[in-house]
Amino acid sequence: MVRLKRPLLWACLIAIAALAILSVYGAFLGAERAQAFFNSVPVAIYWGAFVVLLGAGIVAFRRLRWVPSLLLMHLGCILVVIGGMWGSKPGQDLQQRFLGTERIYKGRMPILEGTSENRVALADSNDTQELPFSIRLREFRIEYYEPGDLYIHSHDGRRWKLPAEPGRTQRLGGDLGTVTIQRVFRNFRMDISGDERIAHDAPGGLNPALEVTIERPDGSTARRYVFLQRAGHHNPDDPLVLAYAQSVRHYISELEVVRDNEVVASKNIRVNHPLYYDGYHFYQHAYGQNQYGNYTVLTVVADSGLRIVYSGYAMLMVGIVWHFWGRPLRSALRHRRSNERDGNQ
Amino acid sequence: MAIKYTLQGLLIYLTMAAFLAAFVATAARRKKAGQWLFAIGFCVSLVSYVYRWIDGRHVPLQNLFEVFLCLGLVCYPISLLSRRGLRIGGQWADMLIAAVVLFPAGFVFHAEQQHLPPALQSWLFVPHVAVYMLAYIFMAMAGARAAIELATADRSISDRILPFEQATYELIALGFPLLTLGLILGSIWGKRAWGDYWGWDPKELWSLASWLVYAGYFHWRYMFGKKHPHINSLWAIAGMAVIIITLLWVNLSRLFPGLHSYAT
Repeated sequence: MVRLKRPLLWACLIAIAALAILSVYGAFLGAERAQAFFNSVPVAIYWGAFVVLLGAGIVAFRRLRWVPSLLLMHLGCILVVIGGMWGSKPGQDLQQRFLGTERIYKGRMPILEGTSENRVALADSNDTQELPFSIRLREFRIEYYEPGDLYIHSHDGRRWKLPAEPGRTQRLGGDLGTVTIQRVFRNFRMDISGDERIAHDAPGGLNPALEVTIERPDGSTARRYVFLQRAGHHNPDDPLVLAYAQSVRHYISELEVVRDNEVVASKNIRVNHPLYYDGYHFYQHAYGQNQYGNYTVLTVVADSGLRIVYSGYAMLMVGIVWHFWGRPLRSALRHRRSNERDGNQ
Repeated sequence: MAIKYTLQGLLIYLTMAAFLAAFVATAARRKKAGQWLFAIGFCVSLVSYVYRWIDGRHVPLQNLFEVFLCLGLVCYPISLLSRRGLRIGGQWADMLIAAVVLFPAGFVFHAEQQHLPPALQSWLFVPHVAVYMLAYIFMAMAGARAAIELATADRSISDRILPFEQATYELIALGFPLLTLGLILGSIWGKRAWGDYWGWDPKELWSLASWLVYAGYFHWRYMFGKKHPHINSLWAIAGMAVIIITLLWVNLSRLFPGLHSYAT
């Protein structure tokens, strides 16, 4: 066993260096191709060999077994790799073949407002697969940061930004004049009767806009309406380009899980707040509008192998903190105490 | 490259001036003055960071400007810890690092405030980025000691400070758990935000590569100890080089499009 230690350490170093080089190579491929590469058969063999090597290290090195922090670190790495392999697409295909599991690995689910859906468009094929329950979309909505911003660009490349609030003024310099925001509309409408045009906020609907006046250096005043939904709309003869923008705060889908005609779970999901039910996570992915109304698109992901990976993370983290921080700190404290004792004697 | 004619810009330039003055004073063997100037620079950088925080109404870690502002802030406390707690010398290198990391914030990246996009509205945002910033400064300081170890002909060891090879090891040993925590928190965040705890994104892969370089360093040092101090130092410098690529090149280059592109 002693004779094996040196080659094992060299093999470990080579495995670490190889993975570092493969990671750099994968970074140049882009996420999608890198995923395919790291799930390919030759790299899967590498993952297997890596786990075996870590296991062999634990068997061969007494120190790895007897120092708990080192043991936790190395066992943690083994669990992360095994969990990753178990939850990967090839891992799930193998489970399906040998264990007969019928779980969906990953897919997309478009749902119209007010309707239920249980079909998932699979990520890796044109097929769909059904969930044993349905997801109902009560409502999809977007929340914005308030207030938005008015962006002012001059043709010579200068630019200004001011909060979209009534009364806000921006001096642009002697050659361009002053811009003032007069009114903020949530749902802009304009009534025209004869020569008279009356802008007003109509109830319902959503057409955010700003009424802006531009006081020019020659004393004349121009009135402009700037729309959130038509950012590129402007008069080409104007010396200024105005744009109204609001940053998105949340994309929210109000979801219900329906099983046997009963609502068994509900959640307003948004980015970072997925719905979890029956081994699947549902994520806000996209949204849109068609002739039937608003719809949301969810990403559906199975949680296979996740607990194994997270257990590995926990063991790795505890082991590393204990080994690199806890042990030196404990020995430093012991050293100080013994010094104090020696001083007292 | 542009000068910032704002209060934020002024605070950054004052901090850089204090850090550079601290470096010059220490190099001129005015150690006490150097330490005072370093501490003053830290106080100004703290004011600068808090000002940015209040102005933006979120912890300033959103883009590369704020990340470099944070890197400049954490240099002094880490240097103080290494000097007082670990008997590590070469503080002049820390002062230089502190001035250098503020340069991109002062002259390269724009400081326009932005709202947090939905993906960054997570409790994991601050710990994930903050632990990485701390880890990067530990590793930068370790890399500096490694470079000094390689460059210094005089190997005389003072009783009061650690040899540079040992100092490099101590700093990496402090930074490595933070590097690991950053990687794990990022993975958990990726799962919550996008559905994958590992998305094979270029930034993730470069982060893994930097973690592996340091894992390799520990295994190498376990195998050979201090027998080959120059090779030990080269590991530490290689780790730092990969970190610089992870932090800058991956975010700025079009070669690596990915989920972390908002960081530019």
